[in-house]
Amino acid sequence: MTQDRFTGVGLGLRRAHLEPVSQMEGHGVPFWETCPENVVGDGGRHHRLACAILDRDPVLTHGLTLSVGGFDPWDEAYIRDLGRFLLRTGTPWHSEHLCFTGVDANCLHELLPLPFTREAVRHTVSRVRELQAQLPVPLLLENITYYAELGASDMEEADFIAAVLEGANVGWLLDVNNVYVNALNFGFDPREWLARMPLDRVAQLHIAGHQAFGELTVDTHGAEVIDPVVELMQWTLARLGRPVPVLLERDNHIPDFDVLLAERARLQLAYEATMTLVEAHHA
Amino acid sequence: MPDSRTLRLQRAMASLVLDEDEAALEADPGRVARRQGLSWADQCSFREQGAGMMTYRELARMSLVEPLETMFPVLKALLVEADTWNACIQAFLEARVVKSGHYRDIAPAFLGWLAASGWGQDRWPFLLELAHAEMLEVVVARFPDSDPPMGLHADPGPEDLLVLDAATQIVSYSHAVHRVTEAAPFPEARPTHLMAFRTEGGEARLMELTPATAALLVRAQTGPLGEVASSLNLPDLGPIFTLLRDFYRKGAIAGFQTSS
Repeated sequence: MTQDRFTGVGLGLRRAHLEPVSQMEGHGVPFWETCPENVVGDGGRHHRLACAILDRDPVLTHGLTLSVGGFDPWDEAYIRDLGRFLLRTGTPWHSEHLCFTGVDANCLHELLPLPFTREAVRHTVSRVRELQAQLPVPLLLENITYYAELGASDMEEADFIAAVLEGANVGWLLDVNNVYVNALNFGFDPREWLARMPLDRVAQLHIAGHQAFGELTVDTHGAEVIDPVVELMQWTLARLGRPVPVLLERDNHIPDFDVLLAERARLQLAYEATMTLVEAHHA
Repeated sequence: MPDSRTLRLQRAMASLVLDEDEAALEADPGRVARRQGLSWADQCSFREQGAGMMTYRELARMSLVEPLETMFPVLKALLVEADTWNACIQAFLEARVVKSGHYRDIAPAFLGWLAASGWGQDRWPFLLELAHAEMLEVVVARFPDSDPPMGLHADPGPEDLLVLDAATQIVSYSHAVHRVTEAAPFPEARPTHLMAFRTEGGEARLMELTPATAALLVRAQTGPLGEVASSLNLPDLGPIFTLLRDFYRKGAIAGFQTSS
């Protein structure tokens, strides 16, 4: 299976690291995740380096701005280019965020929360189905951090996510750091939250660092992953009982590549320790 | 059909992010929901979660402004010194001209808005040129790769047209905006001609041109080199061809083609 290539802990391919990664085949990173918006339609030296790496190494793709819960018409030209890019990379799936990023043709460049309402579920399910029909690979949706609910809710976040995933019949990119951050901000137990979710839909995990600003914790992707989030990743993997790929995200205060490799190695050890226990349990 | 509640909630969020009066929003975040005709319950939701809603304002504005700070450091230094940077940013955000989902398109959207609105140019006539010059090398460095047209040759002749590399830009300013720095952001007022091009290795380079060379590079794309040189009172083609061969080797010129 194609998906067998994607286990262990991968890294997001960032501009700051293109030079060392392009020159280093034995980097030990099992796969990269790339944001198509940063590659499609770009050019020049960094673009060539990125393409060379993406043509050489296993890649997963993760989009930022398709606004699956929005109302604006799809950018048909971009979606055509995206489809070609997905086929070129050989990614087994493509992920987008369960959010909206723009309205009335204005892009806000932020992952904004959808209302936790039945109306928003119906709308988003319809949009996700439309999008899936235009992509050459299965679509995953990622749960986001949110700092406020958008309007009066008529369901909880967990029910909203589950309803969209089930209604659109798509896979789940489960960001365990986002669950952890939401649990801190809204005061719930992340394990209890996860236990009620459709984990059979999980195809990939995200993990990242966060930062507290006063009473609010923000998903900054700008710090090392803390131990409780690593433990939540391990708990989730054990609960899944199968080796889905985990992606370490780092988008701010990006350290030197060797520092990031060391953090990946730490997470890889935690990943392998959990999978050993899972295999022993199945034996 | 009336707009759905979900759409009106999204519009309220956009308004919360982009609208001007931060103090009023902080005092009553529910006002953006009220303006969209949303229910009392939705207005209360905005109001009761004021801190979280204002976090979205901060995060989204940071996403939209950071690329401008990176791309236009001299322009920012000039406007900060005049205490007008925030007003400029607010006017840009309220114009709602960021349409693209590509992060790299935010700075070009700002430049387009500056050109269309004329913002600040009564006071600083060079402002648009300054912004254009600050962005020029990045645009050239990241211009999408493409194959050159077929049938080009490397050596120029009097009957040839020249074909610039797709990434190359010839620009003319009325100020020496390529000489400014954050410490000295006011450019000298003098006609300035520049060529920005990309080397074979993909690095952007900037070169100052004489007025005659700039005119030759523009006009010889549509007229034979010999005729264009003659019209510019440059009768000796030898030095011109040497210069053009040098530009070809540097990657600024894709090649030459026989005019038909």
